[in-house]
Amino acid sequence: MEEYIREPCPWRIVDDCGGAFTMGAIGGGVFQAVKGFRNAPAGIGYRLRSGANAVRVRAPQIGGSFAVWGGLFSTIDCGLVRIRGKEDPWNSITSGAMTGAILAARSGPLVMVGSAMMGGILLALIEGVGILLTRYTAQQFQNAEDPSQLPPKDRGLGL
Amino acid sequence: MDNNSQGSGGVKSGLGSLFGGGSPGYSNNDLAGVSLTGMSPLSPYLNVDPRYLAQDTDEFILPTGANKTRGRFELAFFTIGGSCMTGATFGAFNGLRMGIKETRDMAWSKPRNVQIINMVTRQGASWANTLGSVALLYSAFGVVFEKARGAEDDLNTVAAGTLTGMLFKSAGGLKGVARGGLVGLALSSAYALYNNWDHITNSSSSASSRLY
Repeated sequence: MEEYIREPCPWRIVDDCGGAFTMGAIGGGVFQAVKGFRNAPAGIGYRLRSGANAVRVRAPQIGGSFAVWGGLFSTIDCGLVRIRGKEDPWNSITSGAMTGAILAARSGPLVMVGSAMMGGILLALIEGVGILLTRYTAQQFQNAEDPSQLPPKDRGLGL
Repeated sequence: MDNNSQGSGGVKSGLGSLFGGGSPGYSNNDLAGVSLTGMSPLSPYLNVDPRYLAQDTDEFILPTGANKTRGRFELAFFTIGGSCMTGATFGAFNGLRMGIKETRDMAWSKPRNVQIINMVTRQGASWANTLGSVALLYSAFGVVFEKARGAEDDLNTVAAGTLTGMLFKSAGGLKGVARGGLVGLALSSAYALYNNWDHITNSSSSASSRLY
């Protein structure tokens, strides 16, 4: 894929929710498979069955919590884009902070603030890496010399 | 263009006739030499082969690396996210119904609300996870089949649905696998049929209604 083209805003939420679920389910699945494999009685049959059971039970749950995070983040992001009328990294950072706060809402204000800070810092790191990557890949497309500084061509023969 | 050389002879003689007062019009010899490649049925002024004008398909310009329709991988995230959200909505409503039914004997108080909210979130999460993982398995199998066969059609859909059903109920032993596979086969066949309904009913009905 040459470019990663994102959907326009309402459908972006569904896409991000699905992407987050996939990440959580596959990552969580790998983790849980290894964990179930290790925490099982000796014997390859027990180990494989334990790994498979752990994946079957826990991977959807991990995927689900990732999906909630992703969907909520994308919803707040789209809302901010709509309100502010522009797309920039500040939207993502604010969305990360608000998502962290909302998802910790049942645990009280102090935990909400802590969760918001974690979410904001995580998104700031991600956006910072993205900006650095953009600058680095743009460097290779810069011209070697400014065309206006070249010596003027003399008008030779021919039209 | 090759009819200009013959035509210019006629123009010159015509202009000569205007200025010189000679015979008007083109001579028959000049007219016989004009080639008729530009005389298309659409218009004699169009010097274009009419074969190039027939356009019955959409002609889009595609950038490098793009194909006309979205592949399964690009649709996958949307499918999975959509299933998750549908499951969450359905589970939330189901949880609301169950919560209200189970706390019918309680008065409207904070414990009752907390109970109902708990039921809503648990059921919503459970259904979202189930539907999301079904969609994930279906998409993964669909992508695998598409890449393995190199072609994209409804056979991929049906096969992916069947395998998903089989894998999903694999904890129930051989009977569970068979039942899950049958359910998957039925649902994905119904979906494939729904997608191709117009195509199937049109081809079996009267002759095509194209005008040419």
